Amino acid sequence: MVERSQNLPVDAYTEADEREIKELERVWACPPGIIGWFTDTDHKAIALRYVVTAFVFFLFGGIEAALMRIQLARPENHFLNPDLYNQVFTVHGTTMMFLFAVPIMTALGVYLVPLMVGARDVAFPRLNNYGYFVYLIGGILLYVSFILNTGPDAGWFAYVPLSGPGYSPGKRVDIWAQMITFTEISALCGAVVVIGTIFKMRAPGMSLHRLPLFVWAQLVTSFMIIFAMPAVMLASSFLASDRLIDTHFFNPAEGGDAILYQHMFWFFGHPEVYIIFIPALGFISSIVTTFARRRIFGYTAMVLSLIATAFLGFGLWVHHMFATPLPQLGQSFFTAASMMIAIPSGVQIFCWIATMWGAKLNIKTPLLFVLGFVAIFVLGGLTGVMLASVPLDLQIHDTFFVVAHLHYVLIGGSVFPLFGAFYYWIPKWTGRMLSERLGHWNFWLMFIGFNLVFFPMHQLGLQGMPRRVYTYLPNGGWGSLNLLASIGALILALGVAVFIVNFLWARRFGLIANANPWNADTLEWSLASPPPDYNFYRIPVVEGSNALWDRSAENPVVVGLSSTKRETLVTSVVDAVPELRYELPGPSIWPLLLALATAETFIVGIFTAWAFAIGAVLTFGVFIGWFFGDPNYENVAAKEPPQSEEPHRAPEVLRAENA
Amino acid sequence: MTNSKRHILNGYGNGQRLLAVLLLITVSLTTSCGGGLQSALNPAGPQSQHISQLWWFMLIVCTVVFVVVLGVTLVLLVKKAQGSPDELPERESAESQRRKAFIVVAATAATIVILGAFLVDSFLVGRGLTAALDRKQGVVIEVTGHQWWWEVRYPDVDASSIFTTANEIHIPVGVPVTFTLKASDVIHSFWVPNLHGKKDLIPGKVSTIWLQADKPGIYRGQCAEYCGHQHAHMALWIFAEPREQFDEWRRNQIQSAVKPASDSEKRGQQVFLTSTCVTCHTINGTSAGANIGPNLTHVASRNTIAAATLPNDRDHLASWVDDSQQIKPGNRMPPNKFRPEEMQALLDYLQSLK
Amino acid sequence: MSTRTAIDVSNLPHHGFDTFDTIWWGNNLLLAIETSMFVLLIATYYYLRQNFNLWPPPLAQLTAPLDPLPDLSFGTANLVLLLLSCGLMFWVDLSARRESRAGAQIGLVICLLIGAIAIVLRSFEFSAVKFRWDSNAYGSIVWFILGMHMFHLITLSCETLLLTIWSWTRPFDMKHRVDITALAVYWYWVVGIWIVLYSVIYLTPRFG
Repeated sequence: MVERSQNLPVDAYTEADEREIKELERVWACPPGIIGWFTDTDHKAIALRYVVTAFVFFLFGGIEAALMRIQLARPENHFLNPDLYNQVFTVHGTTMMFLFAVPIMTALGVYLVPLMVGARDVAFPRLNNYGYFVYLIGGILLYVSFILNTGPDAGWFAYVPLSGPGYSPGKRVDIWAQMITFTEISALCGAVVVIGTIFKMRAPGMSLHRLPLFVWAQLVTSFMIIFAMPAVMLASSFLASDRLIDTHFFNPAEGGDAILYQHMFWFFGHPEVYIIFIPALGFISSIVTTFARRRIFGYTAMVLSLIATAFLGFGLWVHHMFATPLPQLGQSFFTAASMMIAIPSGVQIFCWIATMWGAKLNIKTPLLFVLGFVAIFVLGGLTGVMLASVPLDLQIHDTFFVVAHLHYVLIGGSVFPLFGAFYYWIPKWTGRMLSERLGHWNFWLMFIGFNLVFFPMHQLGLQGMPRRVYTYLPNGGWGSLNLLASIGALILALGVAVFIVNFLWARRFGLIANANPWNADTLEWSLASPPPDYNFYRIPVVEGSNALWDRSAENPVVVGLSSTKRETLVTSVVDAVPELRYELPGPSIWPLLLALATAETFIVGIFTAWAFAIGAVLTFGVFIGWFFGDPNYENVAAKEPPQSEEPHRAPEVLRAENA
Repeated sequence: MTNSKRHILNGYGNGQRLLAVLLLITVSLTTSCGGGLQSALNPAGPQSQHISQLWWFMLIVCTVVFVVVLGVTLVLLVKKAQGSPDELPERESAESQRRKAFIVVAATAATIVILGAFLVDSFLVGRGLTAALDRKQGVVIEVTGHQWWWEVRYPDVDASSIFTTANEIHIPVGVPVTFTLKASDVIHSFWVPNLHGKKDLIPGKVSTIWLQADKPGIYRGQCAEYCGHQHAHMALWIFAEPREQFDEWRRNQIQSAVKPASDSEKRGQQVFLTSTCVTCHTINGTSAGANIGPNLTHVASRNTIAAATLPNDRDHLASWVDDSQQIKPGNRMPPNKFRPEEMQALLDYLQSLK
Repeated sequence: MSTRTAIDVSNLPHHGFDTFDTIWWGNNLLLAIETSMFVLLIATYYYLRQNFNLWPPPLAQLTAPLDPLPDLSFGTANLVLLLLSCGLMFWVDLSARRESRAGAQIGLVICLLIGAIAIVLRSFEFSAVKFRWDSNAYGSIVWFILGMHMFHLITLSCETLLLTIWSWTRPFDMKHRVDITALAVYWYWVVGIWIVLYSVIYLTPRFG
């Protein structure tokens, strides 16, 4: 039961407080050494691992893109032979879509959602850890095979029959199909973790209609993942079984159907791009709120737009298949749906513009990237409406026009907001501000470079240049635009390099960030930068939709959570009424072991079906350990209080708050 | 935080630079518009014409929308209020909120109207593309996609008038042509941008597309669905010619292969029939009847070889026959090591097959 | 020094049944994922059906006229067994809520046996399908559906085994009573999905 009591000091810690905080630090500490790295369940540590890993894959994907642009800079170039080029474009798409875009959105959610909703960790910390390891293993699988010249080469969507047993011999496509399994399991784990946290672990007072838009975006995205990922799991499993055990899902000679693959893949594939895009909408709402120093205009419309986009996103997939022999009336339905989805996106942009109109704009790098988003994504969205039209699509489908469109919406719609998010939240994650000056260089190089690469591609597509060609003949007149695009790629790469330089520079020389350098409104900005392992010493009671701006002088908090065990508050779904004191498991080896069992199943499974039987036994063994083993609520691994930490880990938060 | 004002000139300067950059890019790119070959914006038939008109309509409207949205964004950067970053935000007045709500609703309504217009135009154009019409005067052609060439067959009610060729299609001008599309191995896509949009060739299924050329000319097409190693080099030509010319071409194609006249050509035929060529190629009127590779009965009448990759002249033919893997690595034709006199004879023979 | 109000949560329990606990949500989210997968499998079944004039396709043999439809015996036995088991599982769930340890212990053991029998029956169901997975597209999709559901029968039984061992050897605490109720939800789901899949595979080709 819950009581209200008075007489707690608001602006100073008593000795009892200090002792409690020391206990909290001990209980929540990460075990030392390499074992600590493998067993740590702290959502912040796991999220930062996701960020670093995904960013490394982003750089790999960028290198692959650079290789493609070098090959295509001149007609009949011999920089890459066709076999290598086909591997490169396949691995580029696969890396960017599966190993970078989705995981990095998961990463930001896993880091920020518990902080924004006022929890000490996520709902399922060990599942979170497992999700990361499975993702890492999948990425390693892909790249080891690529380095060994057995990288997949059938395109990132691997249409059958080209990817089937008849026309893609060897293990290349099998590796692709199994890598899909890893990244899909990881995404699903992330989604379950995020939904569980958002629904059940919010601070008291944070009812659903006070949820930050960032959190709404993560919630909506996670539900999309839940309903979309099974489709790609089936598509890749059908493909793998056609290849490995001679099933006939896609073999027309035995009643199978090549178009079945396309339906199954795109039923996932279209929501996938919204899974990548919608979290970025959350970043933008956070950044606009802070840098316009104003509450978002039309909160309800924004939430409904997010939900509408998610629903509509499931009804568009056939627009990837307009050139196949499907009935025209059916196709027209998908034209209508594909155009309709522009409406909620439009509403969001109008609301952001309305928020910023007449506001006190603080033009910092995060906001620059948001403005870049507006320019680039709106253009991409408009070409998307063009592609939605069946007759027009029949000309521009599978040409460089589509390459231009997809990069405008994905880079404009997700990568630009992501870089804005980096500049915004890296101070929170690392305790250092990035350089504004380098940030401006970063932005402009990326913006100009991006447009130079991809704008000409609209033209190239209309002039007849198809996709996924390793070279082209000189008589088409495509040479100069391709050269321009390749030069733009260099500039874009420079922009990304500036970001890396900025990050490294800031580690040493960046201004030290206090709790709330941007004067922002969400709860993560009430904690030190970076936050302590336990996040909140006292979970706040939220009083409005902009938690820190609506905080009264009284600043009510929650007391009564244990400091000798890892405990956080579980509240009700709609109104965040306290219900349970939830015990969170501490450092544990089982997620890693489960990931290794999963790895055995699906990697050895490329070669023999017995791997599944062995994997089942291994998995069961791990579950015995997981179930019967010690959940480590008191973190027995952390016997001593932690050694002298960097100054910013001290709990000075409450003293640093505003006014 | 006043150093922020030093790095960017001010909000206005920022926006101006953005606009300038965009204009520069747009101007430089649109002035490089050109090249009608294989271009969807250079229509030569009613389908591509209608699609092209749809394109220009959508482009103009979308450009206006883009300029408006961007313009509004730039203006709001200019109009930003002044104030210290440390003040807590105040709430907007109800009056201002109501005004903004009205504008947002109006903008949304405008969006819906524009999308509705696009939808209607798109549906009407689409219906026109697939409308059944009087094809009595028309031609039917079957195209089968292979890795990485196009098998082209002209069916006929009279069995003796059926013939097969490869990679080069002739059609009469001003007459609807129905293409029946099949694939023998993987998915390909038949696309001749000057004439129409594309249609996929899917193993196990038959798709249909009809198009028409209104002007005589030579139109290039290219496979538009990734189909493996040499997807980049799987192109085709459509020759649209006046009816008489088309009929003459057709009559010639129906004939069996020209019999070799000179000694060299006879020797060449002998080389052909006694080497691995016959395991893949057909020459009507000889014993070579395999269907793995293109039909060579009238190979010398074609303008290009290797799926519109190489000009059809003696040197290119020689390098192709000698080692096609150097030109299209991964294609299904093995290198052939002929002695020089065999090669010359073979070339004489092949070049006689008009 | 100003004061503030605080909400004291030190008397709140650690676990609760149903929507109180995060495990309920995690469990149901995983079931949502699996449900989506089965819906797509059913869609695939009917999609592939369009490619056949006769479904299942005729058997390619000239001897005794064998019916290509899958035999009803094992599948129906499994269906009946699983439906009955729901009643038992309901009782186990009730025992867990009422803290009746003996009831849960006995019930779980029987459920474990039922799970094992169901798995055995399922193995026979594969041969009741007249085609192999590599015969044709019909065989492929039916084996895949039966196989995916069998996977769930196995994991269901394994989870039951773990909870059975716990209920016999470890304290019957609140957390594990909540786990038992989560198992019950999973159990009902496996049975419920089977009702649909059974109809799709065994009934619709006969009557559809």
